[in-house]
Amino acid sequence: MNFGGYQQQQQMQSGLNMSMAEQELEMVTTLFNNIVDSCHRKCIPPKYHDNELNKGESVCIDRCVAKYFEVNMKVGQKLTAQANQGQAMM
Amino acid sequence: MDFSGLSDNDRGRMNAYIEQKQMKDFLRLYANLVDRCFENCVNDFTSKALSSKEDTCLTRCVDKFIKHSERVGLRFGEQNALLQQQQQQQQQAMGGAPPQ
Repeated sequence: MNFGGYQQQQQMQSGLNMSMAEQELEMVTTLFNNIVDSCHRKCIPPKYHDNELNKGESVCIDRCVAKYFEVNMKVGQKLTAQANQGQAMM
Repeated sequence: MDFSGLSDNDRGRMNAYIEQKQMKDFLRLYANLVDRCFENCVNDFTSKALSSKEDTCLTRCVDKFIKHSERVGLRFGEQNALLQQQQQQQQQAMGGAPPQ
């Protein structure tokens, strides 16, 4: 009976899932934090006449987030293509 | 996020990890916000106390940042859901088995 071996495999699988989940969480939170920073810099002028988001700022934020996602995807695709090309040349 | 692929044991560890991460994120946010609002609101050093003008500016700066980050969170969720939907459709189109 190879019960020990089976368990080890289970454990390895679980370690893999864990680090994948952690990596994904890390990626999503980094993305979110970067978007908050970047869109705040680009959409909220450093003059504080009041504490509400005005219409222009709100629209800017909405577009900024959508655009950031698009850029994120484009860069990811380019990097993937580059990596695949490098692999094909080897 | 979907953690259904994890065992009970791992889910416990994952929750601990998330908690730790949230704390770290909060501290980062705090430090960043102090820096940003200080930069934007405090520029006069003829007195060592915050003036009422600076004080008002700081309050607005913090309030506005929180509203900003809430709005980004809302749009982020929408965009993220859209992205996941697209990825799922792509996977199905390629005939790949859906992830368990």
